[in-house]
Amino acid sequence: MTHDASDEQRIPDDGRAQPDGGYATVAGTAAPDGERAGPRQVFAVAVTEYRLAVRSRWALALTALFAAFALGLTTFSGASVSPEGFERTVASLAVLAVYLVPLAALAFGYDAIVGNEEIGWLHALFALPVARRWVVIGTYLGRAIVLASAVVIGFGIAGVFLLREFGFAGFEVYVGFLLSTIGLALVFLAIGVLLSTVAAEKTHALGLALLAWAWFVLVHDLLALGVTAAFPLPDWAVSLLVLANPAGIFRALVLGALGAGGDAGFAAILTEAGLSAPVLTVALVAWIALPIALAASLIRRRRL
Amino acid sequence: MKITITDVHKRYGDVTALDGPSFEVPAGSTFGVLGTNGAGKTTLFELLVGHDTPDHGRIEVGGIDVEQAGHRVRERVGFLPEHVGFPPSMTGREVLDVQGRVRGLGDRAIRIDEVLDLVGLPDDADRPVSGYSNGMRRRLGLAAALLPNPPVLVLDEPTAGLDPRGVGTFHRIVGRIDRESETTVVLSSHVLSEVERLCDEVAILHDGSLCATGSVDDLCTETGAGVTVRLQPADREQLIDDVQGFGMVDADGETIEVTCARDDTFDLVTALDSDLVERFEVREPGLDAVFHRAVTDAEVNS
Repeated sequence: MTHDASDEQRIPDDGRAQPDGGYATVAGTAAPDGERAGPRQVFAVAVTEYRLAVRSRWALALTALFAAFALGLTTFSGASVSPEGFERTVASLAVLAVYLVPLAALAFGYDAIVGNEEIGWLHALFALPVARRWVVIGTYLGRAIVLASAVVIGFGIAGVFLLREFGFAGFEVYVGFLLSTIGLALVFLAIGVLLSTVAAEKTHALGLALLAWAWFVLVHDLLALGVTAAFPLPDWAVSLLVLANPAGIFRALVLGALGAGGDAGFAAILTEAGLSAPVLTVALVAWIALPIALAASLIRRRRL
Repeated sequence: MKITITDVHKRYGDVTALDGPSFEVPAGSTFGVLGTNGAGKTTLFELLVGHDTPDHGRIEVGGIDVEQAGHRVRERVGFLPEHVGFPPSMTGREVLDVQGRVRGLGDRAIRIDEVLDLVGLPDDADRPVSGYSNGMRRRLGLAAALLPNPPVLVLDEPTAGLDPRGVGTFHRIVGRIDRESETTVVLSSHVLSEVERLCDEVAILHDGSLCATGSVDDLCTETGAGVTVRLQPADREQLIDDVQGFGMVDADGETIEVTCARDDTFDLVTALDSDLVERFEVREPGLDAVFHRAVTDAEVNS
């Protein structure tokens, strides 16, 4: 019913409700911290995403997938080529990872936003006093922790076996590979979240994710190789072609560290292009930050 | 907390979602927003909670301009969206805990127990949402909206898809909030009887424009909706002749309906010849009549 008392008179000075058995009218038990609440809200959303991913067995499935492929490859590559250390095995694993990890990351990320919208969870979150960008960033971080953990554990199991076989000599190469693989996974997760933000439906997001995978993993390098073979490009243009593809950056990082530029496709011209490890690392980080920044901006325009 | 809506316009492409409605929701009232599909109810609610901004016009919640400070408004508004849902593997309590964390609520556990009790879900709080019925999910959504003790509660189609028992439970909860708190409740619904039962005042939208606003009684007077006397005739022709002059006579169906002014009702009933009437029924003017009259007038005027 209608009341005449002004709103402000009903708000206690400390802005907090007293326990009232249900529904006292006060301005909120919520801390009136506005935009400053961002980090706390990001953490809350991230923890929720992490728990949901663990419960849905995504974490287990991803870990098992990476472990199975990594163990299989290290076992068979060891048997067939008689590896002399970590370097040859890492080269084989890098070839596997560049196909497998982006696909797994996109599959894990394509429904991050649009999937939550379809079940109504995004409606529930957006009804709260939280900036939409924090929801996107929190969603990404929660899933990123799951994916990074799966990479570390999955490929780490294979690393332990290699460690037993080869000892610590050259182990830093494997650690470098592991870190680069985490970077690769986080990049494609970020791309997946971006696609999930712009897609109207989950099926659209899945289609876009598959197209993205095909472009970055299959098509881009072939096109780049064709262009560099057909035209005499300056070094900066070649560098740009490498940096335009996170899968290419990953290859360059791993194979460059191995000194294996000679037989690794587009990575063969890296030495001439003069791409250092720090530059490649910064580029990989940028490939994480840019899609997420774009998604955090575009989410504001999304109509539920 | 008073809500003021002033000349709000919103277009999506070629579609005009809102075409300048202006009205006030008094502090502490339970206010219904009515309209046919596409009337602009959901758009209005999205603007009200700052999900979108109007192309023109202004919405204020407790004196705060939503366009300027949507975040601050959502701190004060508990919103139950029409299509709200929850991750199936989460329990009801976990859903509320996450919402409480995002809101930064202190003493979350106590407050969560309170709202679970209020919406009648204390025994199901630790079950996964996947096992909830549609009605339980709506009640969980209401619990989430009530969690911060909001001075304003906005409920978009709160009983859509619920069975009669679920609707009844929801009505009891909203009725209790209305009686026992000073919360301003704004709800939309297609069910006129629901709005009539729960709301102090209503606004009727049609094609994005405001057709009518005010209390149901005032609207009945303003729109001229009269008392309807429904007669089951024993002698149809004679009865039609007898009731002419008391009001508008509709004899197209099996029954004869006479719509007349409230003051003429007694005269009409006492003038009836009992030999000509098998039975009769007097219906007070309701929101149903008001709504149809308002929408029809809007269509004619447009």
